[in-house]
Amino acid sequence: MTLFHFFNCAILTFGPHAVYYSATPLSEYDTLGTSVKAAVVYLATALVKVVRSTHDLDLVSESRGYNLHFRFHFHFHFHVQLVCLATFLQVSETEVFDPYQEALKAMIGFIDVAGLYFALAQLTHRNISQNHKFQAVGLGWAFADSVLHRLAPLWVGARGLEFTWDYVLQGLEANANLVFTISLAALGSLMWLRKNKPKTLIPIIYTCALIIATMPSITSYLRRVMGWHFPKVVGFELITSLLMAFISCQLFILCQRPSL
Amino acid sequence: MADSKKPKHQRYHSTAIESMYPLLALMLILVACVELCDAATVVDAYRLIQYDISGVPFGSRFSSLNHHAASLSFQRGADLSRSVLILPLRELDLGFLQDYISQKQSLGGLLILLPERFRPGNVGGGDVISETEGLRKLLAQVEKLLVHGNIPFPVYFAFENEETDAMLADVKKNDALGLQATATTGGYKLVISVSEPRKIPSPTITNIQGWLPGLRADGDSNQLPTIAIVASYDTFGAAPALSVGSDSNGSGVVALLEVARLFSTLYSNPKTRGRYNLLFALTSGGPYNYEGTQKWLKSLDQRMRESIDYAICLNSVGSWDNELLVHVSKPPDNAYIKQIFEGFSNVAEDLGFQVALKHKKINISNSRVAWEHEQFSRLRVTAATLSELQSPPELLENAGSLSDTRQNVNEDAIIKGVKLVAESLARHIYGHQGKDIKIFADDSSLAVNPHYVRSWLDLLSQTPRVAPFLSKNEPFIMALKKELEDYTAEVSIQHESLDGTFTFYDSTKASLNIYQVASVTFDLLLLLVLGSYLIVLFSFLVITTRGLDDLISLFRRPPSRKVKMV
Repeated sequence: MTLFHFFNCAILTFGPHAVYYSATPLSEYDTLGTSVKAAVVYLATALVKVVRSTHDLDLVSESRGYNLHFRFHFHFHFHVQLVCLATFLQVSETEVFDPYQEALKAMIGFIDVAGLYFALAQLTHRNISQNHKFQAVGLGWAFADSVLHRLAPLWVGARGLEFTWDYVLQGLEANANLVFTISLAALGSLMWLRKNKPKTLIPIIYTCALIIATMPSITSYLRRVMGWHFPKVVGFELITSLLMAFISCQLFILCQRPSL
Repeated sequence: MADSKKPKHQRYHSTAIESMYPLLALMLILVACVELCDAATVVDAYRLIQYDISGVPFGSRFSSLNHHAASLSFQRGADLSRSVLILPLRELDLGFLQDYISQKQSLGGLLILLPERFRPGNVGGGDVISETEGLRKLLAQVEKLLVHGNIPFPVYFAFENEETDAMLADVKKNDALGLQATATTGGYKLVISVSEPRKIPSPTITNIQGWLPGLRADGDSNQLPTIAIVASYDTFGAAPALSVGSDSNGSGVVALLEVARLFSTLYSNPKTRGRYNLLFALTSGGPYNYEGTQKWLKSLDQRMRESIDYAICLNSVGSWDNELLVHVSKPPDNAYIKQIFEGFSNVAEDLGFQVALKHKKINISNSRVAWEHEQFSRLRVTAATLSELQSPPELLENAGSLSDTRQNVNEDAIIKGVKLVAESLARHIYGHQGKDIKIFADDSSLAVNPHYVRSWLDLLSQTPRVAPFLSKNEPFIMALKKELEDYTAEVSIQHESLDGTFTFYDSTKASLNIYQVASVTFDLLLLLVLGSYLIVLFSFLVITTRGLDDLISLFRRPPSRKVKMV
């Protein structure tokens, strides 16, 4: 509606990332380089990732809450979609939730996970502890995601005269996404970087990672099949993100214990 | 939104359209851009006319609007200088408006919501007639007030629809509670962004004339007498873009065209071709003292003008029941007038209604010309105006007001008028005065065609015709010209510039954007909430990752530094 409102929504969308960086020891160890690297990996991943964009596109029909997601994709993802859609998804867009199509999308969603794996395990980082590494990677990743997916629609839409709750909700979604990403990065670092973890925890770790990785598909299911509205979906995302963060945190602590 | 859907479907459809992807991408980006502009509700708004008479300003003097909406339920005495007052016609309090305008109080803008039935071309119906009649009267009064006032704020008319109704209900609720407009309680901002209204440079008026020559006997060198049938076609109303004037003077134009059609059939056969020339004229400038008529008459060839036996002007013949008036400016005992009137009254008697003669002297020193025939009389041509109006209209009145729509015009009345004119003309031309002969009988080949009357009436009722806003080659003028060409032998168009006394300003129609907005207070509140959220988040993260002591030390550090410096 106004520049003021844009400012508010931007604070809500990007503020938590900055706060997270400055409040946690990340800032003390100067892990900004790691975050930037993760962000670059994210951008690279975005070029080969289709699912999220198609997922978002599905929601066009949903409401104008969707609109926000819509615009940026043409700036960033369109060419990517062309490449990948032409090769993978020869499916016509329907309002019906097609399990096969969703599964395919979820599969492609794992490109995200592959990207995270690359950022965590393959990139050479300055000598920082695993503990900080996953946080820095998750933070960079989530920030890049927010910038790519939310900045353009925010800039375009939130400054308009018409007031909608959409941009506030979108900001909340960005918060949930940050929590998800960091949880996923934490689980990823447990899976790939920690060797001596308790055997009994391994299936739980993998299950949790799977749940987080398929989150886009789950929200898409909620919207399209259950017919949930945007506020409800965001509420669900927030609650699940906190739950997953709690579980991941507990797992991390449990895995750390033997090494202590 | 619907636009964005379509290409999306296509996009996933098949590989065959792969080659079209760049094109589609472009389209989608365009669609995305378009969406930005119409995020809000948009309705058509019609601005109150803005004009000067000899430099004295009248009407709405401003055009752009960017204010919050307010309704009449606000607390009296509140400052409305930064609000747009929304007045639905149904609840409009004329006294309030009168006071407001006469006291020259400031107002951000005025939006008058008209019931849908006043939309030009809306045939509608189903409403309670008595209510409609009341609304029409009220609308006419409002119009008079606005048109003759100098109003220092933008005034717009719009038609009620679901969106405006919803907005009004919201605004009323808030105003009644005296609430600040917030996102949750529904604040609305009305925006019309148009440029400053500009003067219309040298407005033109266009007269159309059709000539149907009579049959001259062999060896007769004398010029045939001519009968002129004249109607003024342009309008003037509070909102130029809505001023269709179905009755004033759409009905007269329709009647003229139908008479021309009937006589063209008669005159196409040499056996029935009369010994009178017929001159049809559609004149412009009617609301402005029949300026077009005057200029047209002056431009006529002297011989031609002198050959005019008499002229019949048609004005507002679409909504009468039992009595039509013949307005003249020569005394009723004048031989020519008597002859014309007797011709009319004989036919009227046969058709089952009455005509009455009404005489009004011309005051040469007064510039006001109330009837079209007065322009003829001033040039010593016998003329009469056939009208349902009882008294001469004031300047700029009865010329196509907002309430003068299709619904209030009765086709049967027009048909009766056509019969009256055509029949009396025919009796005069063929010398059957006083005889009960029906030339245009209902089931003959010369019958009045109700479909023709209806279709022209419908067209006129959808076409705003305020002369200064019509271009020289306006499709409507071309349509009239073509129609006369079909029925007469010779058609000419005359463009004249409108007298400098009147100045008109453009921007008669605009798009009204209705935005639901949140107040600054809401944003401040949101900022406060977000700020505290981030602070809590920060504290929480510091405590969980570094411990409470760290957090405390974070706040202690600055003073300790100061101490060191000292």
